[in-house]
This record gives sequence, C-alpha cells and structure tokens, in this order.
Amino acid sequence: MRRKLRIYVPFALNELKTQLSYRGAFYLFILISTFSSFISYFLWMAIYGSTDKVMLGGLTRNEMVVYIFMVYVTRSIVCISISDWVSEDVVKGTVAMNLIKPMDYRLSLISRALGRSGYQFLVPSVFIWIGLELYKVNVLGMQVTGIWNILLYFISSIMSFLIFVLFDFCVGMIAFFTNYIFGLLMVKEALLRFLTGELIPLSFFPECVQRIFDFLPFSSMVYTPVMIYLGKYNTAELGFVLARQAVWVVLLYLLGSLIWKKVTTRLVVLGG
Amino acid sequence: MIEVRHVSKEFVSPKKYPGLKGAIKGLFSTEKVVKKAVEDISFTIQDGEIVGYIGSNGAGKSTTIKMMTGIMKPTSGECIVNGINPSAQRKKNAQEIGVVFGQRTQLWWDLPLSESFTILKEIYNVSDEDYAERMKFLNQVLQLDAFFDRPVRTLSLGQRMRADLGAALLHNPKVLYLDEPTIGLDLVVKDNIRAAIKEINEKYQTTVILTTHDIGDIEELCNRIIIIDEGKKIYDGSLEELKDTYGTRRTVSMEIKSPKEIVGLDLPEKLKVTEQACKVDFDEERKALSVSFDKHKLQVPQVLNAVMEVTEVSDIQIQETQLAEIVKEIYNHGLKQADS
Repeated sequence: MRRKLRIYVPFALNELKTQLSYRGAFYLFILISTFSSFISYFLWMAIYGSTDKVMLGGLTRNEMVVYIFMVYVTRSIVCISISDWVSEDVVKGTVAMNLIKPMDYRLSLISRALGRSGYQFLVPSVFIWIGLELYKVNVLGMQVTGIWNILLYFISSIMSFLIFVLFDFCVGMIAFFTNYIFGLLMVKEALLRFLTGELIPLSFFPECVQRIFDFLPFSSMVYTPVMIYLGKYNTAELGFVLARQAVWVVLLYLLGSLIWKKVTTRLVVLGG
Repeated sequence: MIEVRHVSKEFVSPKKYPGLKGAIKGLFSTEKVVKKAVEDISFTIQDGEIVGYIGSNGAGKSTTIKMMTGIMKPTSGECIVNGINPSAQRKKNAQEIGVVFGQRTQLWWDLPLSESFTILKEIYNVSDEDYAERMKFLNQVLQLDAFFDRPVRTLSLGQRMRADLGAALLHNPKVLYLDEPTIGLDLVVKDNIRAAIKEINEKYQTTVILTTHDIGDIEELCNRIIIIDEGKKIYDGSLEELKDTYGTRRTVSMEIKSPKEIVGLDLPEKLKVTEQACKVDFDEERKALSVSFDKHKLQVPQVLNAVMEVTEVSDIQIQETQLAEIVKEIYNHGLKQADS
C-alpha cells in the first residue's frame, strides 16, 4: 500500500505543478466557468421573481443560490475529465509510454485527476465557497452550514469523484476501439450537465423520471453531495444515498477493470 | 533471454471506399481489411547481445518491438522475455525492461527533467543508493547535468534523446529496446549516444535490441543483425557474414591516359569471365574507367594488369561494397536478388 502511494502520489503532485506552469490558461477557464454560474444565478432569480410560490422543486430562493454555487464548487473538484487524457494518449500513441512502465494506467490517471481536483479546489473553489458562506450569512440571513454537513459533503464528494473518474475511464476506453472520440466527449459533456443536475436540480423532474435517475450513476456525481450540503436528507435517506454512492464506486471499478482487460488484448498503438 | 516464437500480428480495419459515395457506403459496410504487419517471425537473443533489427519503413520493426515490450498482443505466436510473457504480464515485464521510442518521450513534458527522474525512481522502486550510483554513471556517459533542471519541453532533440535514454536505464533493465534512438540527431550527439549504449552494454551486460535506419549505428554497435521485409524475417546473422555473402563485388576506378585503346578492350573476354562477373563502365570525356567485379572470381591485380597492358593509368581507387548498399539492395529486391 505504501509503495503504491509512493508510485502514484507523484502523478497527483505533477499534475498540480503542471497546472501551475500554465496559470494563464487556467485563470481564463475560471473566468468562463464562474461566468456560466452567474448566468445560471440570474436566470433562476428571474424565475423565482416571476412566481408567488416560495418553493420550486423543493428549494427556496435562498437554497437555490446555495445550490448553484455549490454545484460549481462540486463540479470543479469532482468532474475531472480523464477521458480527454485517454483520447489524447490514444490519438497521439503516447499510451505506449504509459504501458512500458510497471504501473496501472487507470490508477495513474486517477492520481493525476486527484492532483487536478486538488488544484481546482484551491483555485478558486475554496474562495467561492467561503464567499458563498459569507453571502449566505450576511445578505441572505441564513445559518452557517454545520460542520457535520460539511464533513458529510466531503465524504460524499470523494465518492462522487471516484464515481466520475471511474465512469469517465470507461468512456475513454471507447477511444481504443474507435481511435477518435472527440464528438463523443462533447455529447458526454452535454448529457452530464443535464443528468447530474448541474443545469436543473433533479428534484424539478417528474416523479417517474426521477425514479430512472435513481438507477443511474449520474445523480451520485454532483446532485447528492450538494443536497447533503443543503441538509435536504434525513438520517435514513443519508445512509441510503451514501451507500448507493459506495455501490457505484465498486460497480464502476469492476466494469472498468473488465473493459481494460478486453482493451489490452486488442490494443493498437498508433504511430511509428 | 529473449525468445520470439512464430509471432504474427494482423491489423483489422474497416474497408474504405473512394470518394464521397464511398465514404457513405463505408458507414454501413461491415467489410474488413486485414493487414499483416508481422508474419511468423522467430528468433532467439542471448544475454548481453546487441542486435540490430532493421528493415525498410513499414516493414514491421516497431510492431515487433511493441509486441516484445508487451504493449501489443501478438495475433498468434508468443514472445518470452526473461521467462515472462510480456503481453500477459505487462507490469512484471516492464520492471525488467527499458524502452526508448525515438519519436516519443516518456518524460513529463512540462516538468524539469529532475522531476521525471524522481518519479521514475518511485515507479521502478529504485533504492536511494542505486539511484545515486546510476545517476553518477548516466551523468558520466550522457552528460545530463547541463540540463537536469530545465523543463523537458525546452530541451533540444539531442538533449531530450539523451535524457530519454537515461530514463530508460535508471532501473538498470536487463533488456533495452531502442526504436530509432538516433533519429534526427547530429553526428556528435549520435556518436555520444552510440558510445553510451556500448558502455552500458559492457558494464551491465544489458541486452540491447535496436531498430534504426542509420547504417552507422549498425556498423558501430551490432554484432548481429536481423533484417525483416514486409513482415517476414529475411536475414539473421552476424554483420561480417552479411558483408561476406552479399558484399561480393569490388569496384576499381581508374583514370586513363589514352581513352582510345580502352574502347576496343573487352575485359570480360580477356579475363575469361562472364559479363555479369565483370562490369565495365567507361566515361570517355572524364577518361574514367570503372570496373566492378565479383571478388570470388577475379582479383584486383588481374584487372589492373589487363588494363595496364593496353594503356597507362594515372590514378587508381579500390572500393568494397558498402553495407549501406547491401542493405539498400535487400530493401529493393529482397534477399534472393541481392544474392545473385
């Protein structure tokens, strides 16, 4: 175990260092993504402003503000698109350089994603989170989120991270069969925004659609930790959603191993 | 050490049709095209050998290397490296081998070179003492010091190649695969790389398999060469043997005082050999006579005597067939034609 850590921790640290060496691009990315959060914020405020109802989809106006920005924070630490890296490795043939080393390709990708996640948490998520808490207390007059909820949120987020990267690894594996998955990645991005509840909280969907979402891994990626943060689950529900996340981690891990086994038997390394 | 037994590799790809109509047809077609990249290749390599694996572009060299390193699985047949089947036990095999793909780098592009080496140290579980000792040696043969703290992306090709070679050797692998290690390098760096490979082979008894298009690499490094063409092995043996068997021609170039006498001279008839065994080429304007002959059938003095009987010669040059030409001949026509 310690040896494993020693091998894979450098991948996480290196991703961090690499990100630091390309700061300019990253700040631009932050600007664009916070921008879309603000669009979403103004849109929802307009919707709440035009109705007499206090609650929409089980969320009050103030809770919606928290939802929007916590989705941003969660997304930036959970949704690390490792399939982009896989696709690049396949198209350029650099996957060969990973396979000649005595290490697990998936673990090295996940470690790298962890590094990226850590960086995105520091820049700028943690500041947006603190800003949100200050705004909540001072302007909206809400309570500070309890330490217990924050703790549960992080536990849930770690599982969300694992669910996302394990799922995304499986998506990336398609690149080994088709060589080119750029289009597919665009589709994945668009679908995930919808299915994870990033655009519209899943509680807005009709009952029957929500039941379907219950059986898919996507609601466990972003929606679950944010709802935990908002304190929307009672103890029984809490146990259920966390257990469901754990089950998805195991299932997607096994699925990924299976696909990887298939892939390595028919792997084609492109180029020279 | 390394055993390759009847290895074949086929690539299956969907059939492509020409034109726009063809592109649409291709969407619905299930026809497949099978391309055989490597066909039934077998060889055995002993400990400490340096083997040159050569062939024209697309002959299947890199594919074979990829199968030996375990990153591609052969369609049929098997490789055994140190008693390990590389494609079945990729990670175990990877611990024992070092690989340099000349056109790629295994270093971390955005990080200082030193960082790449520390990561590799962890990945291969190299102890601190071994690391210090190995680095000392690598610095001595590859001079990594000069750019050890610079990001890899800022290195020149020659520096990067030296760094890549160093990275592949950090864990003291038993087998070193080099896929075109001197591609695009200048003469001095090439020499350094070759010297380094030689030194490593001597010091650690590392088995080296290298593919290259540079005849210089082969002449300086390899005691044995394997030539493949269109996926099939066509030659396996020592370099001298190849030269002996296929480098059978010698060329004598002479500068002649009076061209007129030469025009009337029929050398093959005079020396009583066939035209094939003694080809004469005469440039009247430059007064240059060149005779290319089979060294098993004729000797240089015989040819010189025959010429000097009729005219005076002012300058003589004798050339052996170059390895480059033998190899070129083999690439062009396969082995049989080169034989005749």
